[in-house]
Amino acid sequence: MTAAGMIARGMSFRRNLSAVLVGALPILAVLALWYAVCALALAPASLLPSPNAVFGRLLTLLGDRTFLTNAGVTLFRLFAGFGIALVVGVGGGILAAGSRTVAALLRPVIRVLAPVPKIALYPAFVLTLGFDHSSKIALVVADALFPILLATYQGAAAVEPKLVWSARAAGASQTRCLFTIVLTAALPSILTGARIGLIISCIVVFLAEMITSTDGLGQLLVRAARNFQTVDMFEPIIAISLLGLLLNAAFNAVSARLLVGFAEQQ
Amino acid sequence: MARLQSVPGVSALIACLALLLIWDALARAFAVSGLPPPWDALRQLPSLLSDPETLINILASLRRMAIGFFAALACAVPIGLMMGRSATVAALFNPLFMVIYPVPKAALMPLIMLWIGIGDMAKVLVIFLGVSLPVVYHAFQGARAVEEKMLWSAAAMGLSARARLLRVVLPAALPEIMVGARTGVVLALITMVTSEMIARQTGVGNIFFTALDMAQYDTVYAMIIVIGVLGFACDWGFEAVRRVAVAWAEPSHQIAVGSA
Repeated sequence: MTAAGMIARGMSFRRNLSAVLVGALPILAVLALWYAVCALALAPASLLPSPNAVFGRLLTLLGDRTFLTNAGVTLFRLFAGFGIALVVGVGGGILAAGSRTVAALLRPVIRVLAPVPKIALYPAFVLTLGFDHSSKIALVVADALFPILLATYQGAAAVEPKLVWSARAAGASQTRCLFTIVLTAALPSILTGARIGLIISCIVVFLAEMITSTDGLGQLLVRAARNFQTVDMFEPIIAISLLGLLLNAAFNAVSARLLVGFAEQQ
Repeated sequence: MARLQSVPGVSALIACLALLLIWDALARAFAVSGLPPPWDALRQLPSLLSDPETLINILASLRRMAIGFFAALACAVPIGLMMGRSATVAALFNPLFMVIYPVPKAALMPLIMLWIGIGDMAKVLVIFLGVSLPVVYHAFQGARAVEEKMLWSAAAMGLSARARLLRVVLPAALPEIMVGARTGVVLALITMVTSEMIARQTGVGNIFFTALDMAQYDTVYAMIIVIGVLGFACDWGFEAVRRVAVAWAEPSHQIAVGSA
């Protein structure tokens, strides 16, 4: 670490603190505006319920079994889809980096499929896989797969060839090289892709539940909207936002753990 | 084979053909009415696309998408550039965007419909929200990576802060902004379809889901093809623009990926 880096690190705590305070301002401003609009009765409560009502209801719902069950269903679909996408994406990316044939086969398919709105495939999944978990999980996989696959491939293709040569010279087989050397060296890039995939999973699972479902957070939103229960419409949205923030924080903690020893990432 | 691959578009065509064949095989294996063979869906395309009502719907969708997309670019690029050049502005906006980011923008549809009605405005607003964040993020990254020396030189030559942002930071960050905009185009399409699925009234998503409800499965799959081609065409067209507009920059190998 350079001297400048050390000074920067010493100063960073105070700067972080002030950054957090500054960053709280717009969020507080939005809340204050919301309070003001409600306090001045500028909007009828049926259209914009007061923040007290919304957050109070959130607290009751957090102890409510039905709400938690629905949140659990959403989480299960999210993790199942993300897990499959992670395994397939990382595996496919590493294989494509290791073999020219696989890369030549995969590249045009990815080029065609990646920009296609995956949500358009959802009706096809519903028709073939049914209304239950599997169609939602399939959609999450379809959406989360590409960022992970591409990030893995790009990361693995950029691995220093000397690392692989040394391992080969030391007698490691080609496959072993791929999964011990290349996979490890491409880890920062893979984690970046996985993080994008995780947030995308969060969003997609919610949307799929909104379009056709019988349970889950997205369905709660649609049900509240149909019954014109404005307060209840806010809760699933807040819940998915909190869920995304928590997952993101957890992911950052895990990747900081995994990336010990790598050059610092921006 | 290598010569064939060097012709642009050929590998994409082969990939499309392969996908159709896989689809055909799956249709035979499943043999359910919910998964017709691709040829049935393709046969629906001419009649679907020659129906003026469908075309009007698709054009209306594309118009909403374009308005939302360009409005988002106009707002998001300045915010991103300022965030990239000023730590205070970055600290100001970062947490807010972090909170908004995991919210599916199309999920706001029911609330926005309550507030401003079911018309075009609601859908344009949702598309605007969906496109903004990735563009802000990429403009931010691009502006942050501008070489300091260029800014110092510009300042030494007497350019004001605003002129520096416009004449140094913006061009330097342009390649990165284009990456963000390309993700944004795909996102705009996704948000458009999703918002029309949720508020079924007009547009591509509406045709799509009405066909699903009426069990016209051939039409459903034909619409999947239409939306897929739209996505591919948007991305391809944007890449062409990018190649001309920032020809001086390193070619980006990134393939657009995004989600609502």
